[in-house]
Formats: sequence, structure tokens, C-alpha cells
Amino acid sequence: MTAQRIKGIERETPVTITVNGQPVQAYAGESVAAALLVAGWRAFRRAEATGSLRGFFCGMGMCFDCLVTVDGVAVRGCMTEVREGCVVTVDC
Amino acid sequence: MVEIVVIGAGPAGVSAAVTAAQAGARVTLIEEYARPGGQYYKQPAESLHARKLPHSLDDNLHHGRELLAGLRHPNIELRCNTLVWNITPDRVLHLYGPGGASRLQAQKVIIASGAYERVVPFPGWTLPGVTTVGAAQLLLKGQGLLVGQKILIAGTGPLLQLAAVQLFDAGAEIAAIVELHSRMEFFSHAAKLFGQWAKIGQGLENQKRLAEGGAPIKFGYAIVRAFGETQVEEGVIVKVDSEGRPVPGSEESLAVDAVCINFGFVPATELTRLAGCEQRFDPNFRSFATATNPECETSVRGVFAVGEVRGIGGVEAALLEGRIAGAAAAQQLGYRADGHDVHKEWQKARAAVEALGAMFAVKPGLFAAMPDDVVVCRCEEVTAGALRDAARAGAHHLNSLKAWNRCGMGRCQGRICGPVAAQIVAAEARVSVEAAGMFTTRIPIKPVPLSVVGAVEEARPAGAAMEDHVGYGKAMVR
Repeated sequence: MTAQRIKGIERETPVTITVNGQPVQAYAGESVAAALLVAGWRAFRRAEATGSLRGFFCGMGMCFDCLVTVDGVAVRGCMTEVREGCVVTVDC
Repeated sequence: MVEIVVIGAGPAGVSAAVTAAQAGARVTLIEEYARPGGQYYKQPAESLHARKLPHSLDDNLHHGRELLAGLRHPNIELRCNTLVWNITPDRVLHLYGPGGASRLQAQKVIIASGAYERVVPFPGWTLPGVTTVGAAQLLLKGQGLLVGQKILIAGTGPLLQLAAVQLFDAGAEIAAIVELHSRMEFFSHAAKLFGQWAKIGQGLENQKRLAEGGAPIKFGYAIVRAFGETQVEEGVIVKVDSEGRPVPGSEESLAVDAVCINFGFVPATELTRLAGCEQRFDPNFRSFATATNPECETSVRGVFAVGEVRGIGGVEAALLEGRIAGAAAAQQLGYRADGHDVHKEWQKARAAVEALGAMFAVKPGLFAAMPDDVVVCRCEEVTAGALRDAARAGAHHLNSLKAWNRCGMGRCQGRICGPVAAQIVAAEARVSVEAAGMFTTRIPIKPVPLSVVGAVEEARPAGAAMEDHVGYGKAMVR
């Protein structure tokens, strides 16, 4: 089980992003973290010291646990909105 | 030179920007996120049909839209996706935004940097699926997403029950709401809210809704462990005594797919501290906050602080402080500002929230009983045991801890672990939380590309941008 979009809410402007080589459906204005969560990714990376799994935690850009790579740049998943065709790499 | 820069487009910042603009001043409003509203008035992504969000969010969304409509004023320039990563006492701001690095010299600065959520760590709290309560609310409001299907909400304060109602309305099952304070404490606290009928009414309404929905509220309990292979699958809660220490033999295990924690809020003071503003220890919330005069001006002339950064005070106080500081800053520039004589309402709003803060205090036993192997600093993975070792060896201030074990030196720069480490050091070294202090703020306050820091030095040759990031990636710049 994981996060999911609330049922019954209409959404417009679908966009397709690529996550670790796989196409993932998202919607304009969604954060990369949101798109990853509904696509089933709970862990986004591993902590450097012990390798423990990390994912979405503070949701507001303060903790840096949700770092992912978008188009080659390390960004916070919760603070970055999806763009059509953007390439996301999740490192775990 | 810009007339007024407002940092942070939450309730306090937007209110300040609109007030100053209406008085005639030219305002640059800077927001780190992609859209204004802050966490409290987070607006739904544009692809969402907001009217289908749960009705328990209606008031919040409506008030947010009303407030943000004021930003259409021609005197306001809104710059989103822009981080202020440094500020000097003479009001020079260093920015990192869509256009790269830039700097601004402001005549007046109004800092509305908000607050962070206070957490209390437990074994398993770094597992994916464990989030803050605010993070779950932001997913719900901003993205129309449920953080999980069966959610355990733990911590203390009225936010837990409010968030539970919202998540429940959106279709989640609430495994339990785990409130640190006992039922008796909760209701004896309520007596201190005498006269705050709206707040009491809202609280009772929330409890009624949760009871109808079959969501148990466990008063006098705390979460002590989360289990899971690659994500959280189980939460263990335990009864606690009046000091917050676990009562042996009272553990209960709950199967969940999300755990959300919140123990109140801590002011986000990095920018006011960099600007040289005096800080005060707020006894109601047991954290440092930025000191101001009644006009919300800090000890640094021309630098104002409004909203949660000057002490947790809630949205009503934040909106009023925005008006007070927006008007005061505009007046200092020679503009005439009216309608900011709201000090009486302001005091009332603050008093109510400060009373709540005093009621829903974190309890020292939580930290004393925290097992040695709990990771406190998520970034550098420093454990409670390592912090205690350092405290016993003489590190009685957070800045000494850094040198000992790197606590607070990772990407979050102590925003999450600082308030926890202060409690652990205070308990171990028998000093006050105030004496344990804060980590000194270092620039950049959040990681930015090296090229952005480099751009500050004018001598730097053009086009010498570096690919590496300060604090990002495996090769961290230390």
C-alpha cells in the first residue's frame, strides 16, 4: 500500500514523466514527490552514512530527505513541479 | 534599491506585502515555493478541481484565495521559486531563483519565514511512510493525495485531530490519534481557554467527527517504534506517565501504511539570525524566536519580523502582524498607512495560541526515555546515545555538539534535529533547554549550487559555473 490520489477529484492536463526509464503519468502542477508516491515509490534514496532508505518526510523543503535527480540536477522532490517529459532518477 | 522586500508568501508575508503596497510602497515579495500561500494557505495544484477536496478544507481554501487576491496589486512584484540564502544586517539579500543567482539591496526587509514542525524521534522514524503531520496535510491540500490508506497520527496538540478529520474526510482510515497528554490534562487545559469559545467548539466538533468515524483518540500515549522492511508497516504506541515516560507492558501494535508526527512548531529563525536580529527564548513553546518591538521591528533597524518567526502565534496573529509591519515599514519610507491599529486584537489572538503552546508542551520524559540507538540527526545519522556521550564529555551547547559528532551539519542544517538535540543535551547535562542554545546559522541557509555562491564574488570570471552543489550529492562540500 502507498499514497494515492483522492478518488472523485477531476484532474486536468496530464503530463508524462520518466522515472528510472519508466513512463509515469502525472498532472500539471503536481510535485515530483507526489508523482513518485502515487506511482508506488515510497523510498527515494539512501542516506549516505548507513544506507537507510529515505522518502518524503517534511513536505515543505526543509529536510532534504526527498532529494531526487530531475534532468540531471539534484532537487527536492516536494519543491519541484513535474514538467512534460522531465527525466527523474530515484537512487535506491 | 528596492523599497520593501518581504520574505515568505505565507499569511504574514502576504498581509505585510498587501498592506505596504496599498500604502503606496513598492514591494518585492519573495517565495521559495512555486506559488504563494505558505503552508497554511497552500493552494491546490492548477490541474486539481479544488471544489472536490474534502469540505473540511473549504474555509481554509476560501480564506487563502481571498488573501492571495490582494497580491494582484500593481505595486507588488511576486518572485516565486526563489530562495533567500543569505541576508546581511545592512539588508543585502542573496537570492537563488529561476534566473540563477542575484542580489537585492532593500531599504526595508520584512521577514515572514514561518515555522518548522517539531518532531520527537523514535526507532524507525526515518522509514519511508513516516512523515510530519504537516506533510500529509500539504499532500492533501496541494496535491489531492492521501499519504497512506491507514494512518497513525501521533504527537501533541490540536493539529493532530484537525488533520485526522481532513484525512478521514478524504477517504483514509485513521488507525489512531496518539495524543501525548492524558484526557484529564487535555480537559483541564481546556479550562485555560476560557472565553475562546470558537476554539473549544472547533475542538469538540473535531472529536465528535472522529468518534463517528471510528477513529480512536489515545490520550496519554506516545509512538515508540515503527517497523517495516522498505516502508512503514507497523506502529507501536505505549501509554506514558505525566512526564512522558513509557509505562512498561502497555504497548499496542497497529498495522498502518503511514505514520504522521507533529509535536507543535519551532520558529524558522535562520534569516533573522543572519541579519543580526536579537532572539528571545519563548517559554510557551520552549524555543527561540525573534524579538521585536510592538511595531514588529527587530533589534536591527529596518528589519521586521512577522508571523511564526517572532514566536508561534497562529494565523490570526500572523495576518495582524503583517498589517502592523507592512504599515510601519511603509511609514518609515514616508508613506501614509491606515487601518493597522489592531494591537488589541493582536494581543488577544497571540494570547490564545500561546496558551495552547503552554498546554501542549513536549514532555521531558520523552527525551530521557529515548533509546540510545535512535537516530536524532537524520542527515548525519547521529544517535541519541552519541549526543549523550558528547553531553557527558562536556558538550553542553549545540555548537559544541557539532564539533563532537556532526549533529546538525547535514543538508537540513539542524532544522529538524536542533530542538531535539537541545532537549537531550539539557536532560543529560542538567542545563536548561535555553542554555543548550541553537546551532549557529551558516550560509547558504539551504543547499544551493556552488555557482550561486561563486556569483557573489564579482571578480569571478563569467561562465565559470560548477556542476557540483554545496551539500548535494555524495561529494559534499564540508
